[in-house]
Amino acid sequence: MAETSNQWENYRTGLLWIVIPFIVGLIVASSIVPQPVIGVIRLEDAISSYTTQSLIKQIQYAAETPEIKAVVLVFESPGGTVVGTEAIYFELTKLREKKPIVTAVNAIAASGAYYLSVNTDFIFAKPTSLVGNIGAIGYLPRAPFLIEDTITTGPYKLFGSERDGYMRQIEMVKEGFFEAVKLGRGDKITGAPKEIFSGKIWVGIVALHLGIVDALGGEAEAVEKAAELAKVANYQVLDLREPAGVETALVTFFFQNDDGMIYPYPNEAGVYLLYIPPLPIK
Amino acid sequence: MKKKWVYIAIAALLLPICVRGLWFYRGFAKRPEIATPDFASFSAPQAPFNVSKTDEEVGQLGGTVLIDASHSNLFYMANIDSLTSAIQARSGKIEMVADSFSLENNLKYASAFVTFSPTLPYSIFEIEALKNFAERGGKIIVFTDATNNTIYTDYFTGVTTVTSDVNAANSLLREFDIMINNDYLYNIENSEGNFRNVFFEDFGKNELTFGLKEVALYGAHSVESPSGLILLRGTESTLSSANDAHSADQGGAALSADGNVAAFGDFTFLSSPYNAYTDNATLISNLADFVLGGSRSKSLANFPFLFEGSTVKVFVAPELTKTTELISALGGLQASLRYMGIEPEFVDEVPSSGNAIVIASFELTEDTEPFANKFDLVPDGDFITTTEFGDVGRYGNGILLFDAGTKGSTLVLLADTPEDTISLIGVVTSGSLYSCLTSEKAAVCSVGYGGDYYSSDTGEETTEEDVSQESTEGEATPEATPTPEG
Repeated sequence: MAETSNQWENYRTGLLWIVIPFIVGLIVASSIVPQPVIGVIRLEDAISSYTTQSLIKQIQYAAETPEIKAVVLVFESPGGTVVGTEAIYFELTKLREKKPIVTAVNAIAASGAYYLSVNTDFIFAKPTSLVGNIGAIGYLPRAPFLIEDTITTGPYKLFGSERDGYMRQIEMVKEGFFEAVKLGRGDKITGAPKEIFSGKIWVGIVALHLGIVDALGGEAEAVEKAAELAKVANYQVLDLREPAGVETALVTFFFQNDDGMIYPYPNEAGVYLLYIPPLPIK
Repeated sequence: MKKKWVYIAIAALLLPICVRGLWFYRGFAKRPEIATPDFASFSAPQAPFNVSKTDEEVGQLGGTVLIDASHSNLFYMANIDSLTSAIQARSGKIEMVADSFSLENNLKYASAFVTFSPTLPYSIFEIEALKNFAERGGKIIVFTDATNNTIYTDYFTGVTTVTSDVNAANSLLREFDIMINNDYLYNIENSEGNFRNVFFEDFGKNELTFGLKEVALYGAHSVESPSGLILLRGTESTLSSANDAHSADQGGAALSADGNVAAFGDFTFLSSPYNAYTDNATLISNLADFVLGGSRSKSLANFPFLFEGSTVKVFVAPELTKTTELISALGGLQASLRYMGIEPEFVDEVPSSGNAIVIASFELTEDTEPFANKFDLVPDGDFITTTEFGDVGRYGNGILLFDAGTKGSTLVLLADTPEDTISLIGVVTSGSLYSCLTSEKAAVCSVGYGGDYYSSDTGEETTEEDVSQESTEGEATPEATPTPEG
């Protein structure tokens, strides 16, 4: 009887001091040590005001969500507005200070999209992805003229700037881009500066040889690299659009004619970090 | 004993956490410091205004500069205002050539021919006229611009074609061993605000580059001339878009070997504000001097524009009676001269200097003999012996002699009879020597019926009666030599 009582005492002690803490440990472990998440942010359009807000929302969500240990940026973008690019660039900097970011270039990461890529820890591109086109493009304003029914309070109120001054301001945009590339890529760039900053666009293989990208690969490799940099395993991959509350909207960045044909030119004049593919011109 | 259970409990509690931690994490990721551009430190490149002003007075060179507007030229007058102003400041006259048919005639009095971004090629007739013009010392400048391209989209196929202005320009320039390349020059190491705005600090020695230290061109084709001179040479870092390479044989502008034809790969530097940057204003001044300067040799090829200046003295030999017909002919001459902006002054003595027109007969006098001697003109019976044309029948022919002196030009009109003289004046008044045999300094014009019309083979004079008799007998009537006046 006494033996049975002792046995029961042992069971009770074990249950009290081992099993219950273990179960509690199991229960709290998932909140204390959550499964790491690799967030995926996609830019599959030009950098417009809409895509800028969309990306910033996702980047901020990634920064604020502890489970997200690293982020993969998937690019399929020819670039876009200067302001949009810079806004995303600043947000990426804040996120990158906390968490590693890896870029995966699908078809294209040109101009502004490449500007963003250089603010990540590693860049993957497919062998035939188009990468580069470093530089700014803009349309000079007209020489000012008067319109009878339009009253302005200064000669450049309507035109914004004189042509020559505008050209010089675009040079500052270029300087910012060049500096971002130099800081972001550093010694990884093996090509000569005059080649790198010529505005050329390269296929992934050439981009790799020039140090424009780090390795050839796709989204899966980028996720693996992000996990490696974040030192996590058995992670979950999560597209951040839905959790960040990004709503899909149809915004036209490119010019569309009455027949519905979309041209690779922006809707509005301005300065862009944008790759405009050549027209079939003889 | 109880302490032991506490440890066990803690271990049991931590075990799942640790296992989960080890399952998911392989260490702590340390983040590097992220460097971003110092955007605030950037500044826009400043415009290289050249504030130095010279009070130097410009020479009053005069002359007429033809501006080509007959080859679908891609330019506005406002774009080239700085050059036209500089030309006008030197008393130069600007004249537009709106059709290619009048080019040859216009070149007879022009000092220069300037074309901007032509898109229609030059015809062989235009090229020939311009070649002759340059050979006589006329100046030609061909401006192109790498930003001037014609874009054409086919309505049916949608195929877009881009045509540069160099093709048409080269159709003319190749005659002078100059070629403008279908490219643009750029420099990504040292540029004027943008890679396509190129500085030039090395100049070919010429009046066009006098006083230049630095020039900037804004979107320029490269220009080369194997036998000529590269006027604006780029640095090693100035590359051509054609091959992304530098060539010492190419530059922003070139001059032909004879120094009369210049080609520029850009003319944006002529427009505001770029005309005030670097030494571009000096280059523009030099261009104005170039198109109005030079020693252009005058010859009868310039006819009727033989005289520089605004006056010409007209001497009519005393033996020529001022009949109604002669007065009428001289009146026509006067109107013709005035049309060209030249005021005739009729004088009684052979002018010793300045522009002069001497009207006399083959019967040389002490007034006209010096001119005949100067041109080795010897009256010999029924013929006048000339150096250029050999023996010329004196009857029915008139001779023009032209002497372009430094103090003025002289045109001498010689004929046999007063009637022939009147006809010869008519030729001069008509402004065309198409019916004449011409050389650089002399011309023989058929102006009358000729001596053989009045004379028989034996040298006997034929009377009017004889003529009418011969005609009635059915023989062919000798055809009258038509006069320019019909």
